[in-house]
Amino acid sequence: MINVLNTHLYAQTITLFRYFMLGILNRRLFGLLSVLLVVAFLVSGFVYELAIINSREIAIALLADFLRYSMALLILLLITSNIAEDFENRQFGRLLTMPISRWQYVTAQVLVVSATSIILVLPAFLVSIYFVSVEIAIYWTVALWLELLLVGLIGFLAILSLEKVPLAVFLALAIYVLSKLSVLISQMLAESVRLSDGELANRFAASVFAGILHLLPGLESFAQNDVFFEKLELISVLGTQFQTVFIYAIFIIMACLVDFYRKEFNL
Amino acid sequence: MRRSERPLTQVPRPILLGFAIGLFLQILNHQNLDNKSDFNFKPLAEPHRAKIYEGMSMGSYQLFSYLLTMRLQLHDNQVGRHIPYNKINYSVLVEWLEMLNALNADSEYPMMLASRVYSQTRDKEQLRILLTHIDRIFKSNPQIHWRRQAEATVIAKHQLGDKKLALHMATSLKELPGFIEMPHWARDMQFLLLADLNEYESAIAIIQALLQSGSISDPDELRFLQEKLLSFQQKLSKSQQIESQ
Repeated sequence: MINVLNTHLYAQTITLFRYFMLGILNRRLFGLLSVLLVVAFLVSGFVYELAIINSREIAIALLADFLRYSMALLILLLITSNIAEDFENRQFGRLLTMPISRWQYVTAQVLVVSATSIILVLPAFLVSIYFVSVEIAIYWTVALWLELLLVGLIGFLAILSLEKVPLAVFLALAIYVLSKLSVLISQMLAESVRLSDGELANRFAASVFAGILHLLPGLESFAQNDVFFEKLELISVLGTQFQTVFIYAIFIIMACLVDFYRKEFNL
Repeated sequence: MRRSERPLTQVPRPILLGFAIGLFLQILNHQNLDNKSDFNFKPLAEPHRAKIYEGMSMGSYQLFSYLLTMRLQLHDNQVGRHIPYNKINYSVLVEWLEMLNALNADSEYPMMLASRVYSQTRDKEQLRILLTHIDRIFKSNPQIHWRRQAEATVIAKHQLGDKKLALHMATSLKELPGFIEMPHWARDMQFLLLADLNEYESAIAIIQALLQSGSISDPDELRFLQEKLLSFQQKLSKSQQIESQ
């Protein structure tokens, strides 16, 4: 009996996932991906011409980073606009009149984020395998997938909480950029404390930011672009990234569940 | 059919005067714009500390260091024009090069810019600042930077005309420990410069020490050193004969 129930819940979640994926996959997405690839090649080709030495490595690393940030923005827009439509069309209310649990909706959306990330990293894999060794191409693809998964989940939480695309994208981007610039901000705050001879306000700001940092993913949660220039322990770097992303993903999914279960939907 | 023209004297004087004023204004305006774009040259701002740029790189440390290096490489091209090197403040330029080197110690790019691009200056003072920088950075990582030190040695000798500085730089190459992998010609630069300075005895002593150490196994290198030894010995005995007469 329990097995039958579990199978039924599983089938329902997968159906939901398929239904949501249809909202993501369209011709415009593949068109946009193609345009992004062309622009990435043009930019890196320009830098390739400019560089006097190490031009190949610089161009590949730039191409990879260009695709990384474009894809991060793209996944945020895809996820947030897709869920925002559910809010606008009062889809949640209708879904919840069916025998579907809220956790199933969240699970289906997490699957959508994972699948969309896979679709987005595929061009990056095809490009990188052409220019770099198989190990580096695989590393970059998996690491980029983990990064996009993280960004997508942050976007999911942001749109669930704020319900408006611009606000959600802005918040998710702020978290992403803040995480990436955390080293710089910590340095600046530490310097301001030093220059002000340890003034209370500066120390307070530094300690508040140090507290916020505990809620942000660290730099090790993101793909390491240095692989294009030097030999890194790829398995070890990827292992650390997987661990941090996994823990952060659990934290974000739990936050999504808490937020979603607290929402009131009226038809 | 060609239309016949009236002589210039037929043109009213105010029109001719107007044309002359127009021509003068155009030339003046062009000159002014030239000076203005000259004035618009943006000097290099002093760099921040390497740690700041490291934080700004958003995790892509090496890529960011290369992009900053390329930005420095393009500094002498502004508004589509090549800016003469003597307009660049070489002290600030060296600060940038040092920061870039600190940001990515494994990169050869900043030192290559110093030895190949910014060494094109005709200002000897600027060149000296640059060569001193190359010498300093070379000592921090000789395995990566021996090529630039060798290039700087040649620049010091031929472009700057300071054979003593060139000898100092060549000596630092010669004194590198054996585990630093570099071709023999880079180590041989010192005795070639000594010979240039008519210090044949020192050059001979160095070559003899090299030959006796057994560290040279390449037959071409051995032949080259033996030929140089013979040549320097002949030159030394000639100069001694001249002195005794």
